[in-house]
Amino acid sequence: MALINVKNISFSYGARIIFSQISFCVEPGQVYCLLGPNGCGKTTLLDCVLGFLTPDEGQILIRGKDSALCRSGWLSKSMSYVPQNHEGTFPYTVFDMVLMGRAAHIPFFSSPSPDDKDISWEAIEQVGLTEMAMRPYTLLSGGERQLVLIARALAQQAPVIIMDEPTAHLDFKHEFIVLETIMNLVRTRGLALVISTHFPNQAYYFESHQIPTTVAMLHKGRFIHSGPPDQVLTKDGIRTLYGIDSTIVSFDNNGAPLKHVIPVKTLDSEGERP
Amino acid sequence: MSLSQVFAIGVEGLFYPFQNHTDIAYAVIMDIRLPRAIIGALVGGALAVSGTAFQGLFKNPLVSSGILGVSSGAGFGAALGILLFHRVSATYPLALFFGMFAVFLSYMIGRIYQKTPAIMLVLGGVIVSSVFSALISLVKYVADPYEQLPAIVFWLMGSLAGAQLEDLSIAGPPIILGALGLYLVRFRINVLSMGDKEAHTLGAHMGLTKALVIVCATLATAGAVSVSGVIGWVGLIIPHIGRMVVGNDNRILIPVSFSMGASFLLLIDIASRVLTGSEIPIGILTALFGAPFFVYLLKKTKGRGW
Repeated sequence: MALINVKNISFSYGARIIFSQISFCVEPGQVYCLLGPNGCGKTTLLDCVLGFLTPDEGQILIRGKDSALCRSGWLSKSMSYVPQNHEGTFPYTVFDMVLMGRAAHIPFFSSPSPDDKDISWEAIEQVGLTEMAMRPYTLLSGGERQLVLIARALAQQAPVIIMDEPTAHLDFKHEFIVLETIMNLVRTRGLALVISTHFPNQAYYFESHQIPTTVAMLHKGRFIHSGPPDQVLTKDGIRTLYGIDSTIVSFDNNGAPLKHVIPVKTLDSEGERP
Repeated sequence: MSLSQVFAIGVEGLFYPFQNHTDIAYAVIMDIRLPRAIIGALVGGALAVSGTAFQGLFKNPLVSSGILGVSSGAGFGAALGILLFHRVSATYPLALFFGMFAVFLSYMIGRIYQKTPAIMLVLGGVIVSSVFSALISLVKYVADPYEQLPAIVFWLMGSLAGAQLEDLSIAGPPIILGALGLYLVRFRINVLSMGDKEAHTLGAHMGLTKALVIVCATLATAGAVSVSGVIGWVGLIIPHIGRMVVGNDNRILIPVSFSMGASFLLLIDIASRVLTGSEIPIGILTALFGAPFFVYLLKKTKGRGW
């Protein structure tokens, strides 16, 4: 059974149609990459999947249950969420932040049990932040904060993690640290991952580590292409989605081929740029 | 009078409460000072704990216990009570009712959008507060300027001077119920402070938690305001002082806020009685004493996690 099964959903803000007739499935152990320019509706689509927004039409099945009818506890135990960035109002410690991932597992009027704390410590260890666990979250760097949010998602122990541009504000090094952490988690824990991103190369990165990867291109409210990176992230695909002429290169990364999209030139005549 | 005498009278009152006591010292301690101290502690605790809860709920450290209009609503209720019934005792139930009614209105305004986003609630609170402030002005305008108007003005300044044992039966239950409710959901307040979307994805019953926090904080604040009048500052600043001392985790901060608020108001109440010959309204002193203390704490703890 698919973890997430989205069937023909449409969403609009008033008269403005954000997307229509979107369908896709996410299987265990799979990475589902959502590509598209800014403002194309990636975040709205993820919000619908998370149950935070209700689509105008269509149905979303989460582990076989209609998402509109499930209790929020079921949704939280099925999907965890890593936002693009989290503006911390209160400087909770890293540990307190991660512990909040246990909320769905804790009886309503209770506080976290020792088991919940153990699970949180383990999640912190997995992302390599053990030494910072008692530091205020707000004093960490952007990349470290993103790792905290990932640890929180892990503590939630849901089979799917949904990430909305998790590397959007990170520097070169931290983008890679976050990516590597995510990749290891998918591989070792068999998690499924839905990730919206601006970097097509991230899909190739997952693929080169033998993770079943699907790329979907959201353009003008529809999926124009979806499938394995090889078939979607082509020169044509990149041209339609971003209005950019590009070339796809492949090099040998210790025996595993790693592909890369290299942008070459913007196209003016297409009128495709947002 | 020595401390041991006070203690002895306390013990006597505890074990033989129904004996006929004629002692003046006994009357002062058991009938005047003790009820006032208990009510003061409850009021301070209630204001501080609901301020903490609201700051978490609205993820805004500038929010205080009066954010959803409870103070203005209660103020209007009290003013109306003084205007219509000429008796201070009439103010309690009316203040309690209008305090809660004001929050209900704010909540309904916030519900215009289906999901009750925090920002709409705050806006609802601003609207309702301004309406009730206008109504308070109206009541002041039509009140008898020699007796009613001063009574209203004094009530709005906040005071524990009239506190009696009977007031406990009005203010006690909502304050204790509200504070207890907030204590039970204190971990959920952490989760709510992550913002609407993250709170939704983190888990379980966000709408219910929000409503519960609002109901509990309102009960506690309305109970407090109905006996003490409007006492500012406590519900805004005590939560911050708590954060400086024990950190941000509401699991610890909620009980600490209550106890700090209670202690703070007790101290201020004592100061209000002994500083000058006549009593100074406590609402004035909370700010005059609290502000420098807060600045001192800011200076002392700067950069440490708060």
